[in-house]
Amino acid sequence: MDHAKSFEDRPVADSDGPILAVENLTKRFHAIEVLRDVSLSIGRREIRAICGENGAGKSTLVKILTGVHRIDEGKVILDGQVCDIRHPQQAQELGIALVSQELSLAPNLSVLDNIWLGNREVPFFHRRQALRDKAQRALEQVGLRDLSLDTPVEQLSIGRRQLVELARMLTRNARIFILDEPTATLSDVEIERIFAALRSLRAEGKSVIYITHRLGEVFEVCDTVSVLRNGALVGTRSTREIDRSELMAMMLGRTIGEMYPQWQEGAGTPMLVAKGLRVPGVVHGFDVAAPRGAVTCIAGQVGSGANDVLRALAGLVAGADGRLSVEGVPLSLRSVPAARKAKVQFISEDRAGEGIFLHLDVNKNLVATQLDHHTRFGFLDRRGLRATARKLAAAVGIDPTRLRSRADELSGGNQQKLAFGRSIRPSEVGVLLMNEPTRGVDVGARAEIYRLIRAFCDQGCAVLLASSDIEEVLGMADFIITMYRGRQVGHYGRAEANLHQVLGDITHPVAAA
Amino acid sequence: MSNISTLIWPGFADTTRRRVVLVIRLGGLLGLAGWAFSTPGIISLPSFFALLNAISFIGCVAVGMTFITLTGNIMSLALGATLSGAALVFLATLTLGVIPAFILAILFGIIITALQGAVIGWLKANPILVSIAALALLLGTAQIVTSGQSVYPAAPGSEIFKTRIAGIPISALFFFVTVAIGQLILSYTRYGLAMIMIGSNPRAAEAAGFRTARIIMVAYMLAGAFSAVSGVLLSARYGSGDMELGAGYDYNAIGAVLVGGTSIEGGSGSVIRTLIGVTIIALVEVVLILRGFSDQMQYLITGLIVLAVILLHALGEGR
Repeated sequence: MDHAKSFEDRPVADSDGPILAVENLTKRFHAIEVLRDVSLSIGRREIRAICGENGAGKSTLVKILTGVHRIDEGKVILDGQVCDIRHPQQAQELGIALVSQELSLAPNLSVLDNIWLGNREVPFFHRRQALRDKAQRALEQVGLRDLSLDTPVEQLSIGRRQLVELARMLTRNARIFILDEPTATLSDVEIERIFAALRSLRAEGKSVIYITHRLGEVFEVCDTVSVLRNGALVGTRSTREIDRSELMAMMLGRTIGEMYPQWQEGAGTPMLVAKGLRVPGVVHGFDVAAPRGAVTCIAGQVGSGANDVLRALAGLVAGADGRLSVEGVPLSLRSVPAARKAKVQFISEDRAGEGIFLHLDVNKNLVATQLDHHTRFGFLDRRGLRATARKLAAAVGIDPTRLRSRADELSGGNQQKLAFGRSIRPSEVGVLLMNEPTRGVDVGARAEIYRLIRAFCDQGCAVLLASSDIEEVLGMADFIITMYRGRQVGHYGRAEANLHQVLGDITHPVAAA
Repeated sequence: MSNISTLIWPGFADTTRRRVVLVIRLGGLLGLAGWAFSTPGIISLPSFFALLNAISFIGCVAVGMTFITLTGNIMSLALGATLSGAALVFLATLTLGVIPAFILAILFGIIITALQGAVIGWLKANPILVSIAALALLLGTAQIVTSGQSVYPAAPGSEIFKTRIAGIPISALFFFVTVAIGQLILSYTRYGLAMIMIGSNPRAAEAAGFRTARIIMVAYMLAGAFSAVSGVLLSARYGSGDMELGAGYDYNAIGAVLVGGTSIEGGSGSVIRTLIGVTIIALVEVVLILRGFSDQMQYLITGLIVLAVILLHALGEGR
């Protein structure tokens, strides 16, 4: 602890050398090299993005820096001294703080309690006011000036919880903040707050390592970017030197022409129509019509109710109310089997919780929704099921040799393809509901998912997406419905929509009245 | 954050960990076999039949318990009492004939557990608490109906379950049929696959369109039916029955399920694994008897084996 403090007290400008460097880092799991001869250094007052596809080695690097994994070769240099980070507590004491996607806050304790929880500097008999003052200062540093210290954390949005987590790290004298995809579950407004907090941390002389899948963020908030591919460092660039497509090329090792597929517009008659949809407390009277052969996007921030609309249409929300019909046939809102029978398929944004069976193999995952078609007198046609699984895997581009792998061994992108594969039935026209189609999916797989969605559409299916990623909405939608606090704000065709309008709608609902 | 396994073996990949655990398991199994076969008198016809009997009685309950565990409902504390209740029904209705009495006993088991399964499936009630309530209800009702007395066969005929066919006890045949039916349901029917999926991730199963509540109820009904089979066999063997008949069978059954390697979190396991587990538990029981240990010692050893299995499982999963 004292060790870490002495660095904190030293004026930042005195030392211009990198605060953290890794040299010739190699890490193996068995014979597989997950990191190969990686060298990079991070300066003081620097926000460094680390980019790479899933499996490129980003998380392994983070786990080495935070003491979860040990290195096999190479060294980690902190403030010019070689150091061996053996366990997570030690990383914290050295001033390396991780803000992970799974937050480690206790939801029913107050902000103040959470900030000091587990801090070894708090004496048994402590001066409460001093702790309050120090916590308040930390909150101000991350831009939460207006937040009361006594608010229970469970009342905060996920974005604010992340800021509280940052403040908590600040009180522990963290000097290097590692953020692992902090914005994956955040709305744009909240993302902006995180960015502001990061900039203010930088101004305080802290360094940030920022892991992200969203390339836009790299250019918005980061000074430099390091790209990993297959465990090796491709290079480190200043974000002023390169542009988006160059960065993408670095990540993929090739250029992808376009992220979003081109298509012929040609919306058909409405296939799924919902009127006066209500979910108590979340959605207050929402109308939607999804035409066949088109992608309809509901754009809204997290908490806007966009995701809840699709969950309700899928029959997953017990208290949902409203009139729903598919191809003119009325459908109950409260039964998943009924929705399935009407060929309404739902792909959840919460892959681990609701989407796939992490501990079962790819095979079983793919056929989970196809059992009806392969059952005779209650008995399964196991050969038919295997054939279907192979066919579906091929259709969505999952390596057939992985059919027997457990789903939790797949990357986020492949898991999403799995969820997608199970929902399609070749040669059948239906409705596809998809929440946050590319959350946690890397750039390469993302383009594939978009192509798959489009292909589904071209079969004559109706697709409804709910997304908080505006770029995605504008790239994919034939029709856009903007949503704010459970109500529709605007409705646009592809040609009328623009970034400014959509962003305005989902944050300041001028047109709502 | 840090956890026990990173402290014990930091930086080991999951596969290494699983392999180490597998080696420990196999080592333990070999040690157990060595210990068993060095017991004087183990390789004899009487001890073989004793083993077969122990396997059959626990085994039917354990196969039933497998379905409860697999669907993610941990275990039921009421299967022993269901077994006893079914035995009482069987003995009391023997006047109708052996086969009707057998069918009534099975039906009794199915109804008792179907009710529990319905409460757990539709109301999403905690399965352990429901089973505790069912246990108390069963014991209380039986006390009122039988005035706490043992029940004796209302008519002769139950002896048929004590005979042997081609030298194999009927009870063992019943058990093997139970195992076969259980595994058949699990691997080859839609309900079986659905049970594994529900156990693996109930919310995903619901989103995939499975009628989860109904499937959980069916899993419980199977558990009840298989436990009732055990009840009929036991009552025939002892020629009388009371609510003590099945006491402790649920513990031995869950022990067998876990030792066999079915995951207590649900979603992974099989009836065949339970067969292996029940063989190990029954083998320990017979060996301890042959070596002259007391009942208490049996509890202790069984407890230690189950504990070891739980620890190994936790380490294998990387916690």
